[in-house]
Amino acid sequence: MDNNTQIILAVVTLLGSAGIWKYAEARLRVKAELRKEEQSTNDTVLYRDDLRNRVEEMDKALKEANKELLALTQKVAKLETENSFLRREIDILKRN
Amino acid sequence: MEQLKVKAQEIKARLKARFNALRDIWQYSDSQPTEITLAVALIFLYPTATYLELGYSPIMDVLGPMAGVYQLYCVSGKCLSCRVRASFITFSFYLLATVMYLYCGMLFSSPTYLGWLVLCFSSFGSLKRIKKEELHRKNG
Repeated sequence: MDNNTQIILAVVTLLGSAGIWKYAEARLRVKAELRKEEQSTNDTVLYRDDLRNRVEEMDKALKEANKELLALTQKVAKLETENSFLRREIDILKRN
Repeated sequence: MEQLKVKAQEIKARLKARFNALRDIWQYSDSQPTEITLAVALIFLYPTATYLELGYSPIMDVLGPMAGVYQLYCVSGKCLSCRVRASFITFSFYLLATVMYLYCGMLFSSPTYLGWLVLCFSSFGSLKRIKKEELHRKNG
């Protein structure tokens, strides 16, 4: 086989393979887009996304509640201390 | 008779499940081992076979192994777009060999026989798999 034939065959094959691949790639892209659309309208997926959002919201609420609980515990401890001092003072006053 | 029918349906269902599993593996499994095999074949087997059967061809005997090395480089780099490019080049080279053998009338008579078609098919399958993976990663 001479060099010219080889080059021509190589060019033709390259163009052919590029064409085949372009076609196959376009088909794959269309399929992927369809699958994506299907997923975005799928009830199960929507429900799952909804659940995920709810879990995130609940997690946030739980963290805030924990903070509030800690603050309340601190306040209660402070009030208990104050209360015990006041009782002692009342006792002293009563004795006098 | 009824039992035979049920059994035949069972066998049919089992075969269908196996066929679907094979199709899924072919379409979605990891293709790195196939890519490495194709690249190694492109580096060693491709120039040797084409040189012995078709004679010296600079395009196939010099550029072919270089494409194989590039494929190995891309697989080791774990870059998907690079792997797609390299797989396309590999597929082009195997297709070129098939066309050359067909042109010389040796596709059905040479020692390598239909092996080039198998390699073409395999490299195209590998190329499609990587592209699918790339699209899947992009679309999430």
